[in-house]
Amino acid sequence: MSLSEPQELKIAIVCSSNQNRSMEAHSFLGKKGFRVQSFGTGNQVKLPGPSPDKPNIYDFSVTYDEMYKDLMRKDPELYTQNGILHMLDRNRRIKPRPERFQASKERFDIVISCEERVYDQIVDDIEGREKELDHVMHLINIDIQDNHEEATIGAFMICELVTMLYASDDLDNEVDEILQDFEHRVNRPVLHTALFY
Amino acid sequence: AEDDQDAETPGDNAPKTTYDRVVELLNQASLLGNDTDKISNLRQVQELIIHKDPDLLDNFLDEMIAFQNDRSVDVKKCIIGFMEEACKKDAECLIRVIPCIAHLMQDENVNVQKKVILCFAGLYRCALQWVSKAKTVSPEMSTIWDQVNHIKSTLAELIDSDNDGIRTHVVKFLEGLTLTLSKKTAASEVPKKQEKEISLDQVVENGRLIRLKKLEEEGQQHFLTLVQFQGSPHISSINLMTVMGALTNIAKQRPGFFDQVVQSFEALHVNLPPTLAKSQVSSVRKNLKMQMLALLRHSMSADFINKALPKDESRKRKL
Repeated sequence: MSLSEPQELKIAIVCSSNQNRSMEAHSFLGKKGFRVQSFGTGNQVKLPGPSPDKPNIYDFSVTYDEMYKDLMRKDPELYTQNGILHMLDRNRRIKPRPERFQASKERFDIVISCEERVYDQIVDDIEGREKELDHVMHLINIDIQDNHEEATIGAFMICELVTMLYASDDLDNEVDEILQDFEHRVNRPVLHTALFY
Repeated sequence: AEDDQDAETPGDNAPKTTYDRVVELLNQASLLGNDTDKISNLRQVQELIIHKDPDLLDNFLDEMIAFQNDRSVDVKKCIIGFMEEACKKDAECLIRVIPCIAHLMQDENVNVQKKVILCFAGLYRCALQWVSKAKTVSPEMSTIWDQVNHIKSTLAELIDSDNDGIRTHVVKFLEGLTLTLSKKTAASEVPKKQEKEISLDQVVENGRLIRLKKLEEEGQQHFLTLVQFQGSPHISSINLMTVMGALTNIAKQRPGFFDQVVQSFEALHVNLPPTLAKSQVSSVRKNLKMQMLALLRHSMSADFINKALPKDESRKRKL
């Protein structure tokens, strides 16, 4: 038996707008009792609009509730049908507003990104920070397409991975093997690096 | 909870207020069962006695250090971080901290060991500065310096540890040692936060304990260890990326090593370890590209663009 309580890993799930993929996983992991937060790395929050060239764009300071009301006013039928209102409603029950990863000063043990571009932005951000260099973070990327179905599947995969990582007594020593094991199970490529900050 | 951080006013009462607050926080910490609350108390004490009222540091150092025997790994890690900060504030703390560090590095928990490894580069810098500045060398100082060197050698040997995570941390430790035991030059690009950290150009030869030439050779030796580690055939992807990052930091901050770092990346580029899985190769290649771009932004890279950059990179530049 270990003398101390099991260490609680601090997890962040990151996508571009902190709406769909990261929030689906945030919601799923949160319900399972993990210590999880979610973020986006984009400059702004983008939601689908009436046509592909007319997305709804918001600042990260706008709350989910305000976005919900805004879209409700613009076209309730469209945004109900494409599931955006449902998603925003789910989000506003989890936290007030989307958060930008680059603005967060918290330090995490595990950060999971949902696409390669987001992974690159996180690496860039961490490398550019004033670092204390006394904390190690594992950054892992799993590609998840930005639609409702994929986000649901993605949340399951992320939960499976996080459960495997939690089960390890010595993560730094075993993370390579765990990730390879996970990769075979889900049959998707995974990117991984460790960052000191 | 009540927040009384601004309750005091400058004057005769100020030190007493902080003193009482520290006593209260320490007493609470020893009774608290919850690690998170305990750590929060200890962090507050650290802030008070290191930054707010450093005169109290000497007073409470032993009380803080005593928490190194706590059952919780996180409390121990917090105290190791405190020890480093305390010595940075007042190098005399080394006399009491170093024997504790020697004890903590033997801790059975690997996460405690890793925290010691991460903090020791900072402690070594404190000790080097302390000894180098001293006008006379007391027997006490001499003993501590011996202990520091002993711990340093022991930790450096852990590059051959069986534990992959320990090796990752030793890489960062050797990066720190190489930076300390080498000289800054005009072309050095040092991150703001590390600007004030001591390096050999600021060390004064101190007859009995410090010989510059020997220290410089030692720094080069640590650098070579890192280069060799990068070239070892069975290195894990995570260690490979950590050592690449370490070598990039060294090249940027100590351009004397630039040439060798670029060459080592070139060798790696054409000959990645055969044990890496397919997606690990993608992660490593991505990382290598990032390190090379970081080097390319350095003023020293002008000499290398046409001759030494891995072929992929130089080809891309011509297109």
